[in-house]
Amino acid sequence: MTSATSEKKRRGGWFREEFGNPERRLAYYMVLPAVLIIVIIAFFPIAYSVVLSVTDSTITGMGSFVGVENYVEMFKNPDFLEGLKNTVIFTVGSVALEFVIGLGVALAVNRAFRGRGLVRAAVLVPWAFPTVISAVMWRLMFQDPIGIINETANALGIISQPILSDATLLLIACILVDVWKTMPFMALLLLAGLQTIPGEVYEAARVDGANVMQRFFRITLPLLKGTILVAVLFRTLDAYRVYDLFWVLSSEQLESLSTFVFKSVRISQLLFAQGNAAAVFIFVTAFIIALIFIRIFGMQTGTEE
Amino acid sequence: MTDRGEITGVSASRKLNRRDFLKMSGAGLAGAALLGAAGCGGGSSGSGTLIFGMGPDDAQGTMAALIEKFNKQSDFKVEHQVMPADTGSYFDKLKTEFQAGTGNIDVIGGDVIWPAQLAANGWILDLSDKFPASEQQKFLEAPLNSVTYEGKVYGVPWYTDAGMLYHRIDLLEKSGYSEPPKTWDELQEMADKVTQDQGVKYGFVFQGDAYEGGVCNGLEYIWQHGGDVLDPSDPNKVIIDSPESAAGLATEASMMSSGVSPQAVSTYQEAETDAAFFQDPGNAVFARQWPYGYAYLDTKGYLKQDQVGVGPLPTEEGQDLASCLGGWDMLINAQSDMQDEAWEFIKFMTAPEQMKFRAVRATVLPTRSALLEDPEISKIPVVAQGKPAIENTHARPVSEYYSDMSLEMNEQFNAALKGDVSPEEAVSTLQESLEGIVEAGN
Amino acid sequence: MASAATTKGATSRGPLNMILFYVFLAFFVLVSMFPLLWVFRMSIVTKADLLTSPTVTLTAPPVVESYKTVFGNPDFIQALVNSVIVSGSTTVICLFFGSICAYAIARLRFRFKSPIMTLILAISFFPAVAIIAPLFIQFSAVGVIDTYWAMIIPDTVFALPLTIWILVAFFRELPADLEEAAKVDGATTIQAFRKVIVPLAAPGVFTTAILTFIFAWNEFLFANTFIFTAAHYPVTVAIPNFATVYTTDYGAQSAGAVVVTIPLVILVLIFQRRIVSGLTAGAVKG
Repeated sequence: MTSATSEKKRRGGWFREEFGNPERRLAYYMVLPAVLIIVIIAFFPIAYSVVLSVTDSTITGMGSFVGVENYVEMFKNPDFLEGLKNTVIFTVGSVALEFVIGLGVALAVNRAFRGRGLVRAAVLVPWAFPTVISAVMWRLMFQDPIGIINETANALGIISQPILSDATLLLIACILVDVWKTMPFMALLLLAGLQTIPGEVYEAARVDGANVMQRFFRITLPLLKGTILVAVLFRTLDAYRVYDLFWVLSSEQLESLSTFVFKSVRISQLLFAQGNAAAVFIFVTAFIIALIFIRIFGMQTGTEE
Repeated sequence: MTDRGEITGVSASRKLNRRDFLKMSGAGLAGAALLGAAGCGGGSSGSGTLIFGMGPDDAQGTMAALIEKFNKQSDFKVEHQVMPADTGSYFDKLKTEFQAGTGNIDVIGGDVIWPAQLAANGWILDLSDKFPASEQQKFLEAPLNSVTYEGKVYGVPWYTDAGMLYHRIDLLEKSGYSEPPKTWDELQEMADKVTQDQGVKYGFVFQGDAYEGGVCNGLEYIWQHGGDVLDPSDPNKVIIDSPESAAGLATEASMMSSGVSPQAVSTYQEAETDAAFFQDPGNAVFARQWPYGYAYLDTKGYLKQDQVGVGPLPTEEGQDLASCLGGWDMLINAQSDMQDEAWEFIKFMTAPEQMKFRAVRATVLPTRSALLEDPEISKIPVVAQGKPAIENTHARPVSEYYSDMSLEMNEQFNAALKGDVSPEEAVSTLQESLEGIVEAGN
Repeated sequence: MASAATTKGATSRGPLNMILFYVFLAFFVLVSMFPLLWVFRMSIVTKADLLTSPTVTLTAPPVVESYKTVFGNPDFIQALVNSVIVSGSTTVICLFFGSICAYAIARLRFRFKSPIMTLILAISFFPAVAIIAPLFIQFSAVGVIDTYWAMIIPDTVFALPLTIWILVAFFRELPADLEEAAKVDGATTIQAFRKVIVPLAAPGVFTTAILTFIFAWNEFLFANTFIFTAAHYPVTVAIPNFATVYTTDYGAQSAGAVVVTIPLVILVLIFQRRIVSGLTAGAVKG
């Protein structure tokens, strides 16, 4: 390389390196549509919501700049705090259960046995069931006296009051319904991940004398790590934003972060700005959760070469 | 790997690279464009058609029949755009459209608690010039209150609803009662006796869940004991913290604590009340329900008409009757470009003849006072037995911040019912929070 | 392929383990299916029997009135068609743009991968309810309110992050030298992508397809807010409308739910085979 060309390279810098190279340009073209769709549709509404959260806004429009006042009000709001508590409990509880059960189901279905296809389809049914109806039907099943679950729990002596009238029981009910509904999602993802682990690896391990536990912890889990992290991260983010389930099952009584946003932004006339602040809060905390997954759990964003 | 065989022999020029990619995206976009053609039949039906937004029609199809009749006799067409059945969903959708500033819906069938909220944001038309005082007087008082905001009238009352007491004539007779109770004490006494004598499951069922219906029920008790939420002469003054209001909520809570109502009543909405009272064999002696419940009787699986009587709710000793106003009003979208046509349609739908049609066919109660005296309408059981209730309705607080107030009230009323807080605590908490809402709004 | 999977388990299991295995399996299938079966029962009893007591619901004589209500409603049939169109389109668009994006990120070299992935992921963080009004304004300005696009576009936007992340995870796990081998045979990047990577990542691709389809199928918020004409509603909005202002027809809603879920289950049954086939055993050996 002559000194002239190396000079050019240093001056052009990364721009040339990225867009001057046709191979790299192709990569950018491939990425562009997806990014464009997301940015054009979602960016401006989200930015608008952020702006609304720092102004004295109402549903008729933006007000004047008020700094962090809405956020302060929000943190003092008992409904918000209750929503935060319920959401955290719900997220941790349901994701943990879904992961453990989902992994078990995936491992079980991974073996070849009679009727495997049917079992797989049956396990996917809850996920396919329309969410709007699911919550309504579940509420009917929990309702006293017409609901089968309430009646059974009553007969077994587990509960002392109608499930729908107690906040704790409602939260437990929501977690159970969510596990029922989204465990298939976990199982499906983990199963797909399991399928990509070649059988030869297990063969080799068995030849080396590894038992079931060792094979599971030393081979399966590490090889599955990427899939596990993606599945758990997305489930966590979904659970963190739970709204429909709480709203319908508890008939608007149980508060979550998202129901607080909904109530404040779409029902209340006065809490509009606070609602936007809460939405931004959800955004920021979810971001932090994702960062934790990436940095601490070592989830790969696919950018490591 | 068999795929490798396919790839061998294909030329690897750079130009093909880009062309391939463009071909793929072109195919994708073409497919997408086709979809666009398929989906683009929607949107507004073109100017010249009046869009009337309202929830689904009743089982008898009276709205559709009347719209058809109107279309035949007018030079523009009216189309019923079906909005969500759930009033909360409907309101949400409406507000979204208003926020975006689009004027698609011309005439709005609105819940009685909406006019003040919509008017305050300038979204519905002031009808004071079209709807003069002389005409207003022909309508019932409470429905008229619901469309009045800051002295101006923003809608025409269309049909009305009132909370009523249903009772089991046959069960009461067997225990020696020939008349429904006039006071709450009487009701508890009767309910106790009947459930003990005859083993009926529940004494009294009502809607105690924390939702709009729960607010209606709670307010009825408060009004019946002489209390109120806002000062009738000054809507900015909150007066809910009073011994009367507390007494009202105490009576409601006593229904559950005395066992007359089941514990689950704090989760009951209309559906559960219906299941408990109206379905064969009928598990309750009394029920608080809207007039629509009467339509269940004499249908398969439900009680017979001669088993059930309906009438005004009991009240506190020495106090006036009071029930909660329900129902729907006709409103005009301020952005509509067919305002005159909209008014024509509203005049038609709220004319005595059309109101009578719906009343007789589907038991949809009229808002014109004269019609309550009409011989045909007077024969309808709900009117015949429940007229005092219809004439003594109170509107829920008419305020642009009603949604916020409702959220606070439904929470406190439900807590007081369950015994989580005492009635006194509930009303004093509400006093504070409602005052905060009124203040924040001003 | 089948041998790889069976040898994992079959040889080391005794008969007791097998029975236990099948018992657990039966339990999970039952728990998964039970609510659907219960909803089916709710759809074949009369409305009154539905709300009396669980025993009555279980034992009452079956009737078809709910299905008559559902199929007698022309808007519901149209709603089924709408749902298929919207979900299908969303899935196709998502897979198309998502897979080329994921491929670039997973297998090609360029800067800014991390920011791009984070940007894509960030959309999943924001509660959609807070941005409904601005989205409405945007779609209204472009004139797509009350059309299919008003559902397809937001569905795609919210489904893309998961699609891309899953496919990135799958594309990454394929052996690194695959493109090299293809290039040696004279393929371009795109050809390598189409003919080599995609078939091998089939489990991931079909998984994502199913998840995206179901997500769009069940989506309610956007459909409910952006669609106004009854004939344009998808099933998620049509079913709750089996109600009047006062009463809810739970029987019809149950029937609707059954009608809406069965095709999905069949679809899944068909596609779940594809997750199994076309597997890596070939790639590793070759």
